[in-house]
Amino acid sequence: MFSTLKLTVSHAPFWHIGSSTSSKSRNILLASLLAVVPGCYQYGQAAVGVVTIAIASAIIWELLINFISRRPISVGDGNAALVGMIFAMMLPATTPWWAVVTGTFFAVVIGKGIFGGIGANPFNPAVLAMTIVMLSWSHLFDFNAALLNYQFDFNAVYPLVLSKAFGAPAVESFAVMDLLKGKQIGGIGSTFGIGLILGGVYLMLRGYIRWEISVSFLAGIFAAALGFNFLNPELYAGPGFHLFTGYTLIGAFFLATEDSSSPVNFIPMLIYGLLGGALTILIRNIGTHIDGVLYAILIINLVNPIVDKIRPKAIGKGV
Amino acid sequence: MIKRSFFGLVKPKLHYERIDEAQAEPVSVKASKNIMLSIEHPFESAKNSLLKIGDPVKNGQKIALTEKADDYLLASKSGRISNISPFVGILGKKYTVVTIDIDADSAQTVDDHFKSSSQTPSLEKARDLLSGLPGKPDFTVFFNTDKPVKTIVVMGADNDLLSITRQYFVKNNIISMKTGIDFLRKITGIHNVILIVPQHLAQVAGSSGATVKTVDSEYPSAHPHLIRQHVLSTEASSPDAGVAFFSAEAVSALGAAFNTGKLPLEKLITFISKDGTRRLVSIPIGTPLQDILNEFNENLEEGDQLIVGGPLTGISVYTTDSPVMPDSDTLIVQSKEQVPERSDAPCVNCGDCVRVCPASIQVNLLVRYLEAQQYQEAADQYDLFSCIECGFCSYVCESRIPVFQHIRLAKYTLESMKEAEENNV
Repeated sequence: MFSTLKLTVSHAPFWHIGSSTSSKSRNILLASLLAVVPGCYQYGQAAVGVVTIAIASAIIWELLINFISRRPISVGDGNAALVGMIFAMMLPATTPWWAVVTGTFFAVVIGKGIFGGIGANPFNPAVLAMTIVMLSWSHLFDFNAALLNYQFDFNAVYPLVLSKAFGAPAVESFAVMDLLKGKQIGGIGSTFGIGLILGGVYLMLRGYIRWEISVSFLAGIFAAALGFNFLNPELYAGPGFHLFTGYTLIGAFFLATEDSSSPVNFIPMLIYGLLGGALTILIRNIGTHIDGVLYAILIINLVNPIVDKIRPKAIGKGV
Repeated sequence: MIKRSFFGLVKPKLHYERIDEAQAEPVSVKASKNIMLSIEHPFESAKNSLLKIGDPVKNGQKIALTEKADDYLLASKSGRISNISPFVGILGKKYTVVTIDIDADSAQTVDDHFKSSSQTPSLEKARDLLSGLPGKPDFTVFFNTDKPVKTIVVMGADNDLLSITRQYFVKNNIISMKTGIDFLRKITGIHNVILIVPQHLAQVAGSSGATVKTVDSEYPSAHPHLIRQHVLSTEASSPDAGVAFFSAEAVSALGAAFNTGKLPLEKLITFISKDGTRRLVSIPIGTPLQDILNEFNENLEEGDQLIVGGPLTGISVYTTDSPVMPDSDTLIVQSKEQVPERSDAPCVNCGDCVRVCPASIQVNLLVRYLEAQQYQEAADQYDLFSCIECGFCSYVCESRIPVFQHIRLAKYTLESMKEAEENNV
């Protein structure tokens, strides 16, 4: 009695907005190029080598962990490539290949794979890996030593080291515009401020990262730096300096906004970002470490599940 | 299909369809050879049924399997019963399908049961005879003594996207809707009748005699739960308050029945063909969907999808022989390429679902429990039963998780467990 035509039967809804994890990864990769390409231009072939090894090894680690854990192959979602790229953005151009490969192992396998893959990582994988390699081989990641053999037409001292050791007057020579143009040493993809800001604005407009996190992270940096600067302008540099040096911009747009380790509700996102910014300045100004962004982000990743409990009541559940 | 806008800073919005100023009259489609009435009643318990194969059936006759059954349909054509078979629908719902080979148009016989009983209308009679009307008016809520109904809400706004069925009745049949509303007031004694319409129909809705309230065009503002929450007065918005919902079509059918003394059994359907053209179709309840497709020369190919109901909450059927039901407002044909891909990828915690959820559920957390089948946990801690089933979360899901289906499955599993427990005691 029934016809033999085979129709597709699926469940509602029958429309989809068209977004996907892979298109998100693609767009973030694209946006990161705005900072990475100028970085490669500045540091030459060595930087290209570090970026490509990082991306390639991250993908290979992802494949391996797929095989070992007998899960479907997930390199297609682009997340492994993205983690590799973001990790490379933080590295100095002279990082030896083995440190890059070890770093992506920490990122993809330790940071993500063993927790269950994409969406299950409690910390930003790239930040976790960077912190581990930095603590393990600190001499490799001292930017002053690492980039010693380069000739630059600007003050080739890592700005945060100067401000830490000699206070605010030592960094007065860094004009904000020069910092934005990348006239400072640092990670491959973390010094060209204009590119990072353009990329970040693009991602915020397209909705690939949550603007609340980026904006509040920067606001947190600004407010905390302003406070310190107000208390003792001799000792602590102003907010303009802190906003455009070290990992601040990459942190605000690419690190703190990682999906799985950040909150999703409005107020928690603001708290998360502000806390990250304030912690960064605290560590930079009164902590022992030179740059606070990585530790600040790990700490806010840690409190993310708790702050995300601040949420509206579902309907029908109390008033 | 509506796609994501280039800018994703604001949360995505979906809008209900708006009926055109000069909407063409519905195309009348006839049933070609038989009608099928899917009655929500298990086949097994219908062994000693009132119906037998070969029985003659009159137009408008009540088709029920047992004497007392609440679930029945009305035969929209006269003819002879040719088959009675079981059918299992979505989430294990059991139906009995009664197939009727219809008589020729000239030989149609009309059941006069309604005409004789319509002289002295009452709520009991309405329950026993009129629930099979198009729009499926539900009178059983008035018999629930725990929750006495204080408010009647007539829905002139459509319940899903693309549909204009209910708007058509507000725009074109407001007179019979007024009769229907007066009839409802008379048999229930409830005078607080509220007509919900989209803003652009507020003016014409004024002549219905009911209190007119408007909802905006953004999905899912016309969802019954949200109407309770936002549109109705505070005492009606609590979940314990009795509110009876009727669709504009049902009320209009009630009105037409009392105006003419004849049961209207033609269902109005918004038909969306593969290329996106929208037409209104008037068709007898129970007609196989194939007859609509034939009328418009819509050829289905392997892998295409046929959806009864809207794009966000509808049900896709596996055969074009599925019948028109009294509450199917929309019929959508989707080509193979338009069927969205779903995946079993895990949640990446992007939070899009949380931001669009009209019920403020933490879908990102909920879905993790649902995927692990920890349904009780999901219900206790993550507001599973607050879900109003609008489908928005699945629509925006970046990982393409079938969130909505997970939720329905969880609710169904918990409810059937509860039922089993109660039956054992």
